[in-house]
Amino acid sequence: MSGALKPILIAAGLVVLLMIAGETVSPGFASPEQILRLAIVAALLGIVAAGQNLVILGGREGIDLSVGGVISLSALVAGNVMSGSDAGLFPAILACVAVGAAIGLLNGLGVTLLRIPPLVMTLGMLGVVQGLLVVARNGIPSGRAAPVLSDFVSRPQWLGLPGILWLWLLIGLAMAGLLNRTVFGQRIFAIGANEGAARLAGVPTQLTRMMLYVLSGVFSAIAGLCILGYSGSSFANVGGQYMLSSIIAVVLGGTPLSGGRGGYTGTMIGALLLVVLQGLLTTLSIDESGRQIIFGSALIVLLLFYGRSRGLQS
Amino acid sequence: MPHLKMTDMNKTYGATKALTSCRIELFPGELHVIMGANGSGKSTLCKILAGSVKPDSGTITLDGRKVDISDPKAARNLGVSIFYQELSLSRNRTVAENILAKDLPTRAGFVDVKAVMAQAAQAFAPFKEVAGDGFDLSARVGDLRPDQRQLVEIAKAFAGDADIFIFDEPTSALDRAQTEAFFKELDRRKAEGAAIVFISHRMEEVFEIGDRVTVIRDGESVSSASLADTTRDRIVAEMVGGESNTGVFADPPQAPAPGKVRLALQDLSSRRLRDVSLTLHAGEILGLGGLHGQGQSDLLRALFGLEPTTGDVLLDGTPIALHSPRRAIRGGFGYISGDRQTEGAITGRSIFENVVPIHLFKSRQHILRRKTLQADVDRVLQILATRHGGTGLPISSLSGGNQQKVIISRWLMDDTEVLLLDDPTKGIDLKTKLELFELIRSLADKGMAILLYTSEDAELLANSDRILVFNNGRIVRELAGADRTRLMLTRAAFEAA
Repeated sequence: MSGALKPILIAAGLVVLLMIAGETVSPGFASPEQILRLAIVAALLGIVAAGQNLVILGGREGIDLSVGGVISLSALVAGNVMSGSDAGLFPAILACVAVGAAIGLLNGLGVTLLRIPPLVMTLGMLGVVQGLLVVARNGIPSGRAAPVLSDFVSRPQWLGLPGILWLWLLIGLAMAGLLNRTVFGQRIFAIGANEGAARLAGVPTQLTRMMLYVLSGVFSAIAGLCILGYSGSSFANVGGQYMLSSIIAVVLGGTPLSGGRGGYTGTMIGALLLVVLQGLLTTLSIDESGRQIIFGSALIVLLLFYGRSRGLQS
Repeated sequence: MPHLKMTDMNKTYGATKALTSCRIELFPGELHVIMGANGSGKSTLCKILAGSVKPDSGTITLDGRKVDISDPKAARNLGVSIFYQELSLSRNRTVAENILAKDLPTRAGFVDVKAVMAQAAQAFAPFKEVAGDGFDLSARVGDLRPDQRQLVEIAKAFAGDADIFIFDEPTSALDRAQTEAFFKELDRRKAEGAAIVFISHRMEEVFEIGDRVTVIRDGESVSSASLADTTRDRIVAEMVGGESNTGVFADPPQAPAPGKVRLALQDLSSRRLRDVSLTLHAGEILGLGGLHGQGQSDLLRALFGLEPTTGDVLLDGTPIALHSPRRAIRGGFGYISGDRQTEGAITGRSIFENVVPIHLFKSRQHILRRKTLQADVDRVLQILATRHGGTGLPISSLSGGNQQKVIISRWLMDDTEVLLLDDPTKGIDLKTKLELFELIRSLADKGMAILLYTSEDAELLANSDRILVFNNGRIVRELAGADRTRLMLTRAAFEAA
C-alpha cells in the first residue's frame, strides 16, 4: 500500500509547496477565489485524465491520443444541439456521450480486433476527427453553451463549490469503486499486468480492453461538454491542449505508462499539480517561451524523481 | 588420433548437475551419434563445443593441442559449426542472407548482393531438388514451411569451412527425400574428413548413418562403441541405467480402481497433433510421456482452447467445443503452465488478485466482495500450505514454488473437473515439487481427472497411473501397471519413430 501511496503523497506535497511559493511571490495566488479557479481547470483536465488513466492501466502500450479531438467534437456537437438554451442541455449530453462512445468504440476495435498499436490507432483517429471538425465547422465558430451549463462549471452552487467540482469528486469516487470494488476493475489490472496470464485465468481480454477505449471516449466527451460551459462557446481545437497534459497527469499520479498498477486518486492530484504549476508560471509573468521551457524542464525533473523513487522501492 | 577430444567435462546449473566428468572423442571422417534420455546432458555437451555454454571444468584438445572455446566465435575459428533447430534464423531476412549470416561477403564495406546469391546457391545446391514449392533463395525465411526452414538451417551449418559439424535433431521436420539428401551431404563431408556429431532420437536413422555412438546418462558418458558392435536394446539399457527409478521420487503409485470416464478424445488433430484418442477417468493421473516437444504440451493447450483442433472431445459423455480458454474453464477444465512468468502469475498484482480470477469468472459476479472472498482465498492457500506474508503482498514476493501454489489454488476455489498440468514443476525446488505432487495426488483422490506432462521422466513415472508415450504428435504407446518403468518409457520414446 505504501508503494502506491508514495507518488500521491509526493504530488500532494508539491501542490502545497507550489501554492506557498506562489503566495510568497505574488500575494493572492492562494486566495480562495484563485484556488477555486485552479480547481475548476484541474477538474476539466482530471475528467479527461480519468479515461486516459483507464486506457493506460490496461497496458499493452495503451494510450489515447484522440482525447483532444473528442473534446473539440463534443463541444461543437453540444454547443449546436443546445445553442444557448437550457432545454437543449439533456439532448446535448446524450448526443456528445454518444459521439464519444462511438469514437472510443472505433479506437477499441482497431486496437483489439485489428491489433493496431494504440499510439497509431488513436493518433490516426485524432486526425480523422480534426478533419471532421474542419468540415463541420467550415472554419467558423458555432454553438453556445446553455446558461445552466455555464453556471454548473463556473458558479459556486452547493456548499460554495461549483457543480463541476462535485462532479469531479463523484467521478473520483466512481473510479476508485470501479477499480477496487468491481470485477471489471480487477480485469483492467490483470490485463495491464500480464495479458497472457489474464487470458488463461478467464479474463475476456479483448472485450475489457475495448471497454477502456469506449470509457475514455465518454470521459472526453463529458469533459468537452464542461469545457464548452467554461468557455461559453466552442472554438477551434478547444481540446488540443488536453492530449499531452492528460497523459502527464496520469503519470504524475503514479500510474506508469506500462500499466497494470496505479489508480485515479493519484491522477486527480497529478492534474492539480499540473494546473497549479501552470498557474504559478503564468503569475510570474514570464513570457510564453520561457514559461514553456520551465514547464517542460519541471516535468522532466519530476518524472525523473518518480522513476528513481520507484526504482528504489523494488 | 582423435581430431577432437573432450575429457572430464563438468557443468552445473544452480543445483542441477548437467554434466559430470563427461568425455567424447571425435575422429576425422566419422559420424558420431550421442544418445541419451531427456535431460541427460547431450545438448549441454554440444553447446560447450559450440562455445555458447562455458563448462565449469574440463579439457578440450584439438589434434592433441589444448584449446579454449570461450565463445561462439572461438568455436568457429577452430572449425566447429553447429545446427540449431530454427533458433538461429532471422525470420525477416532472406534465405540467402540467413545461409551466409556467419560470414556475409562484402565489397568495400557493403554487403555484396551478387556474391551472396552466388555463394548461397552453392551452399544450398545439395538440397535444391528437395526444397519443394515456394522455395527461393530470395524468399523471406518467415514465409517458409517448417521443413524448408530446417533445410536452410542445415545449409547454414554446412556453409563456411568447418570440419566439425554438430547436428542436434536435424531431421525432425524433414520428409524422406529431404532426409536422404541431407544424409548424402553428410557422407560427402565425411569423405572429405569432417567429424560429425549427431543427436537424434530416431533409432533407425542412427543405425543407418552412424559410425560410433556415445551414450550419456545423467550427465555422464556411459559408453562409446561402434554402432556395428551394439544393439538397440543395449543402447536403451545404457541410457536408462541399472536402477529402475532414480531420484527421490517414490515408487509408481498403485493403480486405483478407475472412476467413470470423465474425458474422451477421438481422433483429435491440430497443427502438432495427429489423431490423438484417449480416455481419462475421474480420479486418475494420466501422464504424457516421450521426448520433449512431441505434442504433449500441444495436447494440453488444445484442450484449453488455445489451439484450433479437429476431432471430438467428450466431457462426461457430452461433446464440447473448445475454442477459447473461457469456454474450456466453463466446461470444467483447468490449465497450469510451468511458464509462470508469462502464463501463470499476474505479475505485479497481489496474491489475492492472483487467486480470485477463475472464481470471479465462474461465479459471474460483478462486484468484488473482498471480505467475503478472503475466507475462501485463505482456505485454498491453506490446502496447499502456501507460505506467504499476507494476501495483499505482490505475488512476485514469493518463491517460484509458492507462486505456483498460488496459481494452482485458483483452480480450487470452485470445482475443476479436468486439470491440465503442463510441466507444472519447472524450475521449482525439490521439496516443493514433492509437496505439489502430493497435492496433485490428493486432488485425484477427490475425483479430479488429471492430465500431467512433465519434462522429467522420473516425475512422470512416480506420479502417473498410466503413461501415454508421444512421438511426433501421435500416441505411440500406452504404459500401464508394471510397464511403467524408466526402461519401458525410454524404449517406447526412442523406438517408436
